Amino acid sequence: MSNTIVTGSAPAATQQATRRFQINLRRRESLAAYVFLLPFMFFFCLFVVRGVAAAVNMSFYDWDVLSPVHKYLGLGNYNELINDDIWWLSLKNTLIFAVMTVAGSSLVALGAALALNQPVRGRGFFRVLLYAPSLLSAGVVGTTWVWLLNTQFGIVNYALHFFGIPAINWLGDSNLVLPALSLTTIWWTFGFPMLLFLAGLQGIPTLFYEAARIDGASPRQIFFYITLPLLRPTILFVTVLGFISHMQLFSQNFIMTTGGPGYASYSVIYYLYQIAWKSFRMGYGSAVAILLAAIIVIFTALQFILIGRRVQY
Amino acid sequence: MTLPLFRIKNLSLYVFLAILGLLVAMPLVLILSQSLMDNTTLYTWPPQVVTLAPNFGSYQTLFSQPDLQLGRWLFNSLFASASYTVVVLTICAPAAYAFSRLQFRGRNVLFFILLATIIIPSQVTLIPNYLLMRDLHFLNSINALIWPGAANVFAVFLLRQFFMQIPQELEEAAILDGCSYFGRFWKIILPLSSNALTALTIFVFLGHYNDLFWPLIVNSRVDMRTLPVGLAILNSSYGGSERPVLLAAAVFATVPILLVYSFFQRKIIQGVTLTGMAGR
Repeated sequence: MSNTIVTGSAPAATQQATRRFQINLRRRESLAAYVFLLPFMFFFCLFVVRGVAAAVNMSFYDWDVLSPVHKYLGLGNYNELINDDIWWLSLKNTLIFAVMTVAGSSLVALGAALALNQPVRGRGFFRVLLYAPSLLSAGVVGTTWVWLLNTQFGIVNYALHFFGIPAINWLGDSNLVLPALSLTTIWWTFGFPMLLFLAGLQGIPTLFYEAARIDGASPRQIFFYITLPLLRPTILFVTVLGFISHMQLFSQNFIMTTGGPGYASYSVIYYLYQIAWKSFRMGYGSAVAILLAAIIVIFTALQFILIGRRVQY
Repeated sequence: MTLPLFRIKNLSLYVFLAILGLLVAMPLVLILSQSLMDNTTLYTWPPQVVTLAPNFGSYQTLFSQPDLQLGRWLFNSLFASASYTVVVLTICAPAAYAFSRLQFRGRNVLFFILLATIIIPSQVTLIPNYLLMRDLHFLNSINALIWPGAANVFAVFLLRQFFMQIPQELEEAAILDGCSYFGRFWKIILPLSSNALTALTIFVFLGHYNDLFWPLIVNSRVDMRTLPVGLAILNSSYGGSERPVLLAAAVFATVPILLVYSFFQRKIIQGVTLTGMAGR
């Protein structure tokens, strides 16, 4: 009996069986994939998707945590925000801080990486040492630097007094507080971009350097015409990532200045903290968060266009 | 002719590295030595860099005040960060496996949505997630520090990159042997990505350990604070009058980290570089 079936419609039957087997396999694979994804998607939907949607929704309400009823305002919160001087000042401070810190830490990191990429003794030691501050928490860094920058007894002013510079009120002067916070942050965070630059430098084939040297290129020419162009993808990555993280400035000014003097070191996130957790205005706070997100996305896109245009492998 | 020049070039390199190293190390050495001073020695001009008569009074205060629960805070930090890291790896590795090795409907769309959320700063979800924690009665508990960040998109992205580099043939051999999907994931993919998993563990743990904003708002009760939060709040209460205590607390928070670092420096630096470069 089995014989007749096989001889009768052998190709069609096998084909059909194969196809059914494949469909089954694909269905099983899909099913397996969904099982693998399930735990992740559960948390992703609950805390990310729902979180973003709820924040957008809340930004249209007068959402006082302490009151049971929330009044719908439409674009009222955004309207208030546009006319809010502290918001604009916070945004300005944050942008100044982010640009200073990204530029400063990228330069220090690049310098350190270039030095560590040379065949010097103890480069392993220096790499470990220079990365060390990146491991510290904001609490430690803030506590340390508040004291180092102390006007009367701080070691920074002590070092400067040898150069005849009178005591500077770093954290109490509204013109100096952002540079002082930026300096602290550069000390704290330049290690990560340094490691990335180092990896980027080690990825440049030595062949290029040898060829340039044979052609009689000076070290300066080698740096500007070989190293820097080939490092562009890393530079783009370091600056974009640094910008995103420094636009979220909160810990340093929360610990070191509490936004002061006056509003001179208010950052957007610090203002968000004040609005949502000191004044309990969760709706207005959501509007701040969403506007900040929009600004970060726009600036990231701009950076990609400006630096990314020239990135080629 | 070129030899002395080469040496001078190297000399300037050494000077540059030495200055940079000194600037990095100096603040840490200074707070260590100044935490061993009393108030009057600390508040003198010129600043005292070393003390000949170390005073452990600040460290005694550190462990005798009821509002200073540094041991508890360190435990909270370590416990929360370790749990968080385990949770992230447990749920993100299978997801990364699905995205890198399995075919299913909606795979590309789903992955695109995931990537899009990377650009959105985490602050957007702060307020809704805080209210959710409150409604779930998770405030002032370790739960609040673990679950909201459990769906770590960066971890999925990173592991997917690594899983995709593993040759397909290895899995095909296992399929012929009748290995299940889970078996392939558990016995082939995971062991072959131990480097990536170690790197990610370090990266995720450190990131969580050093976070300040979220633990500050969800765990405000003294005994549920993490170490960074405890230290940050101390600045307002001990900043004026008892500076040595504050410095001692900073030293207390620094020593475990630097100790771990000195043992695993190579792994940590490799891990950070690996995750950073893969993110690029």
